[in-house]
Amino acid sequence: MTTDGQPMNDSTGDDEAKTTDDGSRRTDGRHTKADGGHATTDSEFATPSGAGTDTEDGHGLPPLGSVRRYLVTTNHKDVGVLYIVTALFFLIFGGVLALLMRLQLWTAGQGLLSAGAYNQAVSIHGLIMVFWFLSPFAFGFANYIVPLQIGAKDLAFPRLNALSYWLYAASGLLLGVSFFQGASFAGGWTMYAPLDLPMYTPEVGSTTAILALLLFVVSITVSSVNFLTTMHRMRAEGLTLRRLPLFTWTILLTVWMMLFAFAALLAALMILSSDRLLGTTYFSFTEGGSLLWAHLFWFFGHPEVYIVFFPALGVMAETFQTFTGRRLVGRKWFIASMVLVALQSFGVWMHHMFLTSINLQVKTLFMATTIGISLPFDLMVFSLIYTMIKGRIRFVTPFLFTFGALVLFIVGGITGVFLGAVVLDYEFRGTYWVVAHFHYVMVGGVTALIGGLYYWYPKITGKMYDEFLGKVHFAAYFVGFNLLYFPMFLAWETPRRVFDYPPGLTPWHQLATIGAFVLGASFLLMFYNLTASLFTGEEAGDNPWAYSTTAEWTVPSPPPLENFPGIPSYRSGSIDFLAEDERSAIGSGTAADGGELTDGGVATVSDQATDHAPGHERITDEGEGEDHASIWPLAIGVGAFVLLLGASGFQGASFPDGFAGTFYAGLTGIGALLTGGSLFGLTRERFTGPSGPFGESWPFDGIENVKTGVWIFLASDVVLFGAFIGSYVFIRVAQGWVGWEPVPHDPLPGLVNTYLLLTSSFSVVLAMVAAEKGSKRGVVASLGLTIALGIGFLLNKGIEWQELFHEGLLLSTNVRTSTFFLTTGLHALHVIAGLVIAIYMLTRATRGAYLEDERPIEYFGLYWHFVDIVWLFLFPLFYIL
Amino acid sequence: MSWFTQLPEPTSLPVQNGIVPRGTMVEVFRQIYFVFLVLGTLVGIVVIGYMCYLAYQYRDAGRGDADGEGGEGGEDGEEVDRPTLGELPTGSGGGRKLFTSLALSAIIVISLIAWTYGTLLFVEGAPSQGEEDFEVDVTGYQFGWEFEYPNGHTTDGVLRVPQGERIDLTVTSRDVWHNFGIPRFKVKSDAIPGQTTESWFTASETGTFQAACYELCGAGHSAMNAEVIVMEPTAFEQWYANTSNTSANATGSGNATEAGANATNATTTGAPNGTTNATGGNSTGNALLGATTTRSA
Repeated sequence: MTTDGQPMNDSTGDDEAKTTDDGSRRTDGRHTKADGGHATTDSEFATPSGAGTDTEDGHGLPPLGSVRRYLVTTNHKDVGVLYIVTALFFLIFGGVLALLMRLQLWTAGQGLLSAGAYNQAVSIHGLIMVFWFLSPFAFGFANYIVPLQIGAKDLAFPRLNALSYWLYAASGLLLGVSFFQGASFAGGWTMYAPLDLPMYTPEVGSTTAILALLLFVVSITVSSVNFLTTMHRMRAEGLTLRRLPLFTWTILLTVWMMLFAFAALLAALMILSSDRLLGTTYFSFTEGGSLLWAHLFWFFGHPEVYIVFFPALGVMAETFQTFTGRRLVGRKWFIASMVLVALQSFGVWMHHMFLTSINLQVKTLFMATTIGISLPFDLMVFSLIYTMIKGRIRFVTPFLFTFGALVLFIVGGITGVFLGAVVLDYEFRGTYWVVAHFHYVMVGGVTALIGGLYYWYPKITGKMYDEFLGKVHFAAYFVGFNLLYFPMFLAWETPRRVFDYPPGLTPWHQLATIGAFVLGASFLLMFYNLTASLFTGEEAGDNPWAYSTTAEWTVPSPPPLENFPGIPSYRSGSIDFLAEDERSAIGSGTAADGGELTDGGVATVSDQATDHAPGHERITDEGEGEDHASIWPLAIGVGAFVLLLGASGFQGASFPDGFAGTFYAGLTGIGALLTGGSLFGLTRERFTGPSGPFGESWPFDGIENVKTGVWIFLASDVVLFGAFIGSYVFIRVAQGWVGWEPVPHDPLPGLVNTYLLLTSSFSVVLAMVAAEKGSKRGVVASLGLTIALGIGFLLNKGIEWQELFHEGLLLSTNVRTSTFFLTTGLHALHVIAGLVIAIYMLTRATRGAYLEDERPIEYFGLYWHFVDIVWLFLFPLFYIL
Repeated sequence: MSWFTQLPEPTSLPVQNGIVPRGTMVEVFRQIYFVFLVLGTLVGIVVIGYMCYLAYQYRDAGRGDADGEGGEGGEDGEEVDRPTLGELPTGSGGGRKLFTSLALSAIIVISLIAWTYGTLLFVEGAPSQGEEDFEVDVTGYQFGWEFEYPNGHTTDGVLRVPQGERIDLTVTSRDVWHNFGIPRFKVKSDAIPGQTTESWFTASETGTFQAACYELCGAGHSAMNAEVIVMEPTAFEQWYANTSNTSANATGSGNATEAGANATNATTTGAPNGTTNATGGNSTGNALLGATTTRSA
């Protein structure tokens, strides 16, 4: 649980920043004394200040253009570039797999690929495009642009951001490796059970692919927490949620959906990995294992559709405004529609299951919600269209792409209504109609994101791409796209994921194959254009686009390390960059509007004073500005890669015999050491992230970044446990609720454990009280008691499990034991993670930490209480009922 | 391309009462699909056409504000309040026309769906009184289909049904998730291990058709087909009377191709990694495909 430890150590990072003399640090950190404070609304933003060069030195960040910089960087812009480049690599990877499929489909029947290889191509193409390309591509932009748009210097937790990237990169590499371990996963991107179990997909590579996805989801979770904290807490003054630029709005909603949807997928993948590695029997459970997977997967899967599409919508909204020179028509309704969709996206998943055994009432309900969710999109489409009225529309490459994307999305939307009619859905299920529809929607989204790439390319690189080549790219792309996907509507009777089709459909499939190659070739143009322009392109200037409004265009291209020449503020109605002293004035002056009000209603300045007191035992002498480099995220990524590669060899609760087994076991050991060691390194590292005061922090005004992060993480953990408990209830209902006997015969150990945990929650509170009173002994004693109680909990559980094992009740015995061991085991893992943190804190407490600043104890307490509360649900469910 | 031309045949719509489509699955699908296709195309053309019109009308023809090639657009451009860099994002009104458009599209979509909902109730309903129906259990496995008739007779890879009668299917799977579909009769149902799903169809013509698997189920998925033989009711009665509670392979008469298919499928059963088998099964699949298209041509 890498995420568990994180918030703590970033807090220590913050502490260190705060140790030094506040005032001097801040003045040094912002290079604005000289040129700061000019409140302008025109080209004068562009202060080619010394900020860039000034910040390059110090902070241990190698200069731009060196490879080493990208290995250690934690700066959001660098990470954004890494995301974009890596995602484009996966676009090529997934694209080549798609071309292989299209070649196979040139004629009906077996061709280029064997049946198994074709299924792998289908499955991994889907997985790569949905997971490893689309979202990371969008999040490259989000990383780069969102902090600029909201006026933040970086994300709230820069190292976690780098960690997200490296976990993503590691997971992608793992997926690539899976092809060389027998075969990669071949059960479709939906991974329906029980085809996803070793019984049907026994290759080691299948396990690796699933573990890769698991790692990807962990990366997403880390990223979600980071983005939500940043976007809620660190907006410029005056930039209330309602005023957020649309791209940022779409990302905000995307991340909220991600937080909850991916938690459900995380649960599904954890259970699946456990089924594959440990031999639990969730998805092989006959009476409902298959359906359970479908529910879990689609509960994630439908929000996922919007997760990948929303950023594209944001790019469309931004570019439509810029290139038509009009503000968005019905902006607030546009935003309201998106909020509605984001909420409703969690209530439509069963429309993917209309042909399963769900009953008519449920079908009707989900038909209604499905139609309901399509209407807000109508509004958004009309809003974009009407924005063109009275515009001054310039058909440059970015707009061509987003305009084209809207056309494609309209086609995708209309064909989606066909699927919403259940009677038609019955026939379209599993055919190319579905394939064509979702490619129009999703690749329509990609089209908009490509527009975004051209739109922000000058900002990111400082160079202008070649406009003519860009237009040619668009022409080839648009023709190729329609040539590829439109024939699929005409050939819709072809079954999905089948390389055999009635010969009458051959012409359409050949047309599609030609289109696929045109589409693929168009990207070669793009890669050439964007690469060549890097060296030969004209200087783009700060703002190459007329009528652009958002803050990223007010700073140089590329923006300096710390983004702004001063503190961005919208107090006057448009952006100004204020100097530090002006900012302080605002701080006390505007405290009444709630901007930086904290607990006691203390205004910002004095709040800062208390904020910055703590952390005495590790005073740093270099407290100037933020850090932008850390090697540990990369190290953790490498560790996770090795660890999971090793774990892939594990099957049915053991490693295979012989060399392979030793190899995999060795890898697992090395990986575990690497990961653990680098996590520890990350915790020990001195790192200064961005610190307040921030302009707008609604609705987390009084809650600092780390605490916000912990809360958000716990929210996703609630969904994770919810999914586990839901799975248990689902299985138990399918099996017969009443006839189900709890696995432990004796609830007594569970009861004892309940009291142990409750007491330990209490002792954490005591530790906090002691810290507030400044009693070192009290802190140490209470933390020690907490740890002792936690260890007691684990020992008691260990003895209980040992007895059950002796009775022959193993994880793999039956679905009752599987649910019991896995769900309570997940809880035990949370306890262990908590204990690791607590032990770390205890060692620090013995050296006098937390006396001045008890907040880390409070954060730990939040987590610990949560773990405690979960147990209060698990105990009755698994021991008594 | 008979598969395509067969779709929009509004002239062949059967007589019916009310506006809710009823009839065989094929007729129902044909009518609804036709209406959706026409309306969808219409809406698509109108919306995209309007988009392109706006894009042309308000294109930026030249550099200056008053450059008049855009006509109206150019002139308006001068009065229009253009966004400026660094401003706080705001919208530009226009709520009313937005909601008018939304209301229009909502009416179209909701009425269409409500209209098909009547048909859904009909499709999901029990057979009407006096209508004969014939129940068959379908079981999918890697990679083939097994059919069990009411008298306990089972066949593998070949489903024989009487023409004109409603056939009720109860579908399940023995191993992984499959989906049983007969494209010609527009019937489809998930085959989920441990679950049963139900669907029905009426074959209006005699001949040999193909059933296929519509859910990725493993290496043999592409070739996981079955033959559906629709017989004259009398011929079917005769055939059915001769079956007993045995497997189809034993009954023999005229089942040579069937037996071939079975042999391939039999080897695959229970063998999860059937890559090699799949290639074998595949050629059978192609042969069947060929047969179907000759039939429909």
